Amino acid sequence: MDAFAALLTGFQVALTPLNLAVAFAGVALGTAIGALPGIGPINAVALLLPLCFALKLPPETALILLAGLYYGSGYGGRISSILLNIPGDPGLVMTTLDGYPLAKSGRGAAALAISGIGSFVGGTSAVILMTFLAVPLARLALSFGPADYVALMVLSFALLGTMSEDKAVKTWIAVALGLLLAMVGIDGGTGVERFTFGSMELLGGIDFTSLTIGLFAVAEILVLAEGMVTGVVSRTGGGAGLSFREILFCVPAMLRATGIGFFLGVLPGTGASVASAMAYTAEKRVSDKGSFGKGDMRGLAAPETADNAAQTGSMVPMLALGIPGSGTTAVMLGAFMMYSITPGPLLFTQRPEVAWGLIASMYIGNLMLLVLNLPLVGLFARLLLVPAWILYPGILALSYAGVYAVSNSAFELTITTAIGILAYAMRKAGIPLIPLMLAFVLARLLEDNFRRALSLSDGGYEILFSTPTSIVLWLLAVLAIGIPAVRQVMQRGRPAVHEA
Amino acid sequence: MVDRLVGLISILLGAGAIWHAQTLHVPFAADPVGPRVFPTVIGAVLILAGGILAARPGKVELEFGTWQRALAVLVASLIYPLLLLPLGFILATALLCFAGSLAFHARPLPAAVSAVATAVVFFVLLDKLLDLPLPRGPLGI
Repeated sequence: MDAFAALLTGFQVALTPLNLAVAFAGVALGTAIGALPGIGPINAVALLLPLCFALKLPPETALILLAGLYYGSGYGGRISSILLNIPGDPGLVMTTLDGYPLAKSGRGAAALAISGIGSFVGGTSAVILMTFLAVPLARLALSFGPADYVALMVLSFALLGTMSEDKAVKTWIAVALGLLLAMVGIDGGTGVERFTFGSMELLGGIDFTSLTIGLFAVAEILVLAEGMVTGVVSRTGGGAGLSFREILFCVPAMLRATGIGFFLGVLPGTGASVASAMAYTAEKRVSDKGSFGKGDMRGLAAPETADNAAQTGSMVPMLALGIPGSGTTAVMLGAFMMYSITPGPLLFTQRPEVAWGLIASMYIGNLMLLVLNLPLVGLFARLLLVPAWILYPGILALSYAGVYAVSNSAFELTITTAIGILAYAMRKAGIPLIPLMLAFVLARLLEDNFRRALSLSDGGYEILFSTPTSIVLWLLAVLAIGIPAVRQVMQRGRPAVHEA
Repeated sequence: MVDRLVGLISILLGAGAIWHAQTLHVPFAADPVGPRVFPTVIGAVLILAGGILAARPGKVELEFGTWQRALAVLVASLIYPLLLLPLGFILATALLCFAGSLAFHARPLPAAVSAVATAVVFFVLLDKLLDLPLPRGPLGI
């Protein structure tokens, strides 16, 4: 009952004309940006982030916009996966497996429709689950002390390591780099300058928007300029449309995928890419009779549903614990912090209009997306025909314009480009960017809690392991670090075929 | 090879971070930890992870497309901030987009047209409609 009443107040916030307009703009832009090949949810959110601050939108409005971009791009991303065989982000690789064969066989329109419905089912069910789970989870976290938070953050870094296909040490390098970048500037506790190297511009630290744009817009354009991503648009029409029976046929797959997606989304550190891969594999195991990978509707519905369920699920720990579950929610957490709002247990009591307004807007946004994506999908698909030489320079220009609008400094653009170079180099060397982002956002929180804990114990490190919660979290973290290491050693024992 | 290099760079960065942390002068003891401990721990993590990577590197295939095009975009991006204030948003952005378009395989004339159009559209959208002041050039536009 509690959740219902709170949700109602949330709707009062979400249904104001400004917030409705912003939610619509968010989901429509999200679908459009998500539809562009090579541009995923995190790029969409990064691109619009500076504009939110520059426009001085109220916090709940800005977050409704950013969230709309996030789950909206989950709908749009499928378009290039299905029609071009180009996944916009890692979460969409599985969508291509059965989506592209369907499009090639002339059933592109039906494939787009079923994946749109899947996205809606996944997105909406996850919002419902979030409505009822967020507050209990937040209550649980209310008892967390500084030591527990330190352990929780280390655990979420550790989980990132288990999920990377490449070496776990590379995740740790990325985490350390992110923490180090966040150290730049004046230390809040003592006023000491750290890593500024005498530069006035660096006194305030590295701006969050510059970092996000550098990592996820500039670097992306540089990689795209190399021309490694190409594809041919396959036709949407020709074959039969989606029948009601086919939708019913996919319902069990969608429900299973919702569960998997939401659960994996909520787990800190694991994101949509893991969820859609797991959902596809699980669905294949349950219902494959040899048709998966050749254009099976269920093979398309499952990863699409899981992708959207995980996106929404990853917002739960961000809101309730203040610990993001994915790269994009890390960006959103940074957005909260720029408004001096600390997500976490107290968010639901102190700023209910932000928390519940955001949740309520996601019900509305998913409905809008269903309408946008069923009849109007052709319009978005046409975006794929915009030539790259108009599109990508435009995105670059918008990125820099956004950074300038926030900072009013041309120097900030150079910092942004420098971060872009770093991100480009990291991508080439196989070091993941998401852990860097996550670490950068959490660094202040981690250090503050670390120092608060140690000032409680007068400098004794035993306080970090003093509560039952913290001990459990540390043990989990040790497991999460240990398992990939053990796996690697085991793989070394086997013949060299398995070596990546 | 790449992994060894990355590991080595990480070790150097970590050592640098620890060295820098030790040079920090703390005026007063506000809390028992101070600003040094955290960067030192991070530096240690970098050294450890870098060491593991350098000792047991995996195989990383360095794949480059036509990297000259990425370089062209990068150079244009680095020049852009220098031109932004003297030339104003529209002119500087048009130049950036022109270079970008060429890097994305456009022919010069369409590139120029789309570059100017992009710059003007963003200027009108951001500066005029959304009221976010962008730098004006010598001509006041």
